[in-house]
Amino acid sequence: MSSASEPAQGTGSRFQRNSAMLELLSKAGLGLAILVVILYGALSSPVFFTTGNMVNILTSMAIVGIVVVGMTFVLVVGGLADLSVPATIACGAILSLALQPSIGAVPAFALAIALAGFCGLISGLLVGYVGINPIIATLGVGTIVLGIVQAAVGGVIVYGTNPASADFVKSRVFGIPTIVLIFLVVTLVGHFVLGRTTWGRWTFATGSNANAAKASAVPVRAVKAGAFVITGLCAGLSGGLLGLTLQSARPLVGTGYEFSAITAVVVGGVSIMGGFGSVPRAIVGLIFVSVLTNVMVLEGVRTPTQGFVLGLLIAVAVAADVALRRRGVA
Amino acid sequence: MRGITKTFPGVKALSDVNFQVDYGRVHAIVGENGAGKSTLMKILSGIYLPTSGTTEIAGTEVRMRKPADAQRHGIRMVHQELNLAPDLSVAENVYLGRMPRRLGLANRAAMISGARAILSEIGATIDPAARLGDLSISQQQLVEIAKAYAASPRIIVLDEPTSSLSEHEAAALFRILGKMKAAGIAIIYISHRLKEVLDIADDVTILRDGAMIETRPAEGITAAEMIRLMVGREVANVFPKVQSEIGAPVMKVTGLGDGDSFDNVSFDVRAGEILGLTGLVGAGRTEVAKAIFGLLPVAKGTLEINGKAVTITSPAAAVEAGIVYVPEDRKGEGIVPAMSVRENISLPVLKHLSRLGYVSLKADKALAAKYAADLGIAPPDPERRINLLSGGNQQKAVLSKWLAANPSVLILDEPTRGVDVGAKAEIHRIIGELVAQGMAVVMISSELPEVLGVCDRVVVMRDGHASPPLDRAELSEERIMALATGEETA
Repeated sequence: MSSASEPAQGTGSRFQRNSAMLELLSKAGLGLAILVVILYGALSSPVFFTTGNMVNILTSMAIVGIVVVGMTFVLVVGGLADLSVPATIACGAILSLALQPSIGAVPAFALAIALAGFCGLISGLLVGYVGINPIIATLGVGTIVLGIVQAAVGGVIVYGTNPASADFVKSRVFGIPTIVLIFLVVTLVGHFVLGRTTWGRWTFATGSNANAAKASAVPVRAVKAGAFVITGLCAGLSGGLLGLTLQSARPLVGTGYEFSAITAVVVGGVSIMGGFGSVPRAIVGLIFVSVLTNVMVLEGVRTPTQGFVLGLLIAVAVAADVALRRRGVA
Repeated sequence: MRGITKTFPGVKALSDVNFQVDYGRVHAIVGENGAGKSTLMKILSGIYLPTSGTTEIAGTEVRMRKPADAQRHGIRMVHQELNLAPDLSVAENVYLGRMPRRLGLANRAAMISGARAILSEIGATIDPAARLGDLSISQQQLVEIAKAYAASPRIIVLDEPTSSLSEHEAAALFRILGKMKAAGIAIIYISHRLKEVLDIADDVTILRDGAMIETRPAEGITAAEMIRLMVGREVANVFPKVQSEIGAPVMKVTGLGDGDSFDNVSFDVRAGEILGLTGLVGAGRTEVAKAIFGLLPVAKGTLEINGKAVTITSPAAAVEAGIVYVPEDRKGEGIVPAMSVRENISLPVLKHLSRLGYVSLKADKALAAKYAADLGIAPPDPERRINLLSGGNQQKAVLSKWLAANPSVLILDEPTRGVDVGAKAEIHRIIGELVAQGMAVVMISSELPEVLGVCDRVVVMRDGHASPPLDRAELSEERIMALATGEETA
């Protein structure tokens, strides 16, 4: 009985060659797709390759991108998705503006992020320690947090009162927007933590086989909870930057970011089933989605059609993930 | 029903088993764990297809490709683990899959009254409208039997039906079986409880290592004789015992209980010793091991390591105390499939390989290379994904993972199950080397020749209770089996 479930060693040459090709495709396929879209954009639109448009793409990428880094942890740890992102973004955006008059711009910003991280901690405790399904837990926590934030500011739009902070986020270093630089730093830190630290290794082990990880002395519950804390912090940072950029924040400012982030992560080939993926992969997914969206906008593709294309992308990416897993590649 | 012949070659399968059961008789099948009882019954009930061999019912050959085929031929199986829907009513469970309908809708009234009739017929006092999940396990067991009986079967198979019943409830079950028997139903009864078998069976078939040993009338057979037939195999020294110097006790377990599956378990294991922990499946061996390792909660009892009391609430604490556990379920709890052999090996000791959370790849690789070479993991490439390795090599990698934690007590749960003969010998050799270096090893195994071959002392568990450690000189397969089935109490 056991022999049937064990892969044969010698007989797999054809299978392995097949795997190698698939593996190459799974690694380089998205890069090729990005090139194709860029090429198409360059040929079809005179605006595409202008500095202005590039900065535009990068800036819009940066805000979602910070969330993408956190979301990657959630998917890799096997936590499905964090749907509290709109609330934690709102928490970051609204508090970092609303608290400016009372405690100053920098403390307001830091406190906003910390509170968003605290929301993530609650989701994390519910998922990791209580064992509630992540979709339900984050949806619930998100709804409650959004309600509290809305009540706290009286349900109105909050405006910035500190011009210096607005100038800071709009500043550029060597022509690169500061926000983009912050996004790059978060990406590098995220990649380092997931790829090279004990915590990262634990995250993969928990996502791939939580029972085995637990039996290997991995603090599985804390690792699961941690992924949601990381996402909360990232979303808080992202929301704070968004608020400072806009100099105004409504409670629904973060709506849609959770799906943009999940789309990027999944399209990047991070497994929705956990245990496989990386921050660079997710970012490549983000680049593809961002560039594609930009080209569609430049081409005047209508919004419903854009949604259709993005939905199709998710379906294809998830199907590819399942297929690759079945072949033991991904 | 005449002459079932099944050939089922391969590892741990059935080879050329002839089996016959007559209407209106209770036919018991006995054998050790893995003797092939369940496999045989799964073939009969259409869950497995036989490699060769035929099944005849009342002289006509029948082919059962799926459970529905077997059910059409009047064969019903009552599984050891219950197949019921807890949120449905008792009546709905009894009629699950074949509800009486009226105008395409389930006819609730007919179902309730039908279920009531069947339950009273088998002498069970259960309200058919009650929610199944609210019943006790033993009542659920009766519902499961009622469900099988409601289908008016010609042959009914019961797999360990009394494992969750009290003596009183078991007696009620036997009365029900008596009624079924009188109704002309052929009853196949699988049980480890030999006394029960002697009480109710008309015929007994003994299986051993996938082969049919003997079928004979229950009258005139004794429990001792059954045990002898169940274990009696040629004694060949396939498990050479490594001689090692036995030192002081390393781990001492006193009065351990989890308030559920085991109670008052006490034993000690000494440096350089292999302590066997054996018994039938479900006796609580794995639960004891998992409780010691911090994977399951402990309700009472104490644990001492090198004379010092320790409290273990998590696997991390166990590793800290020097106890490691190689689980039985390698796929479920042993390996992290998406990771490489290297990443699997270093998982429990990652903290020691890193500084401020940053993993030193150099130390990580060195560790994996050392154990891959020491234990002879093939292919010798630690970067290979672990699920691409054979079962035996995965087991070696799991073993490496725990040796890397530098334990003083190594608990192995069925370490050689599902690995081929070569890998088995190699795993025994590795265990032998470890005890020679002074490690204390607890080995859970159902395979009696293995237990007697490699262990210094043996603890036999039955129904959550453990015998004191018995010296290998005092033991034979027959004696272990007698202790495991409750024929002898230590």
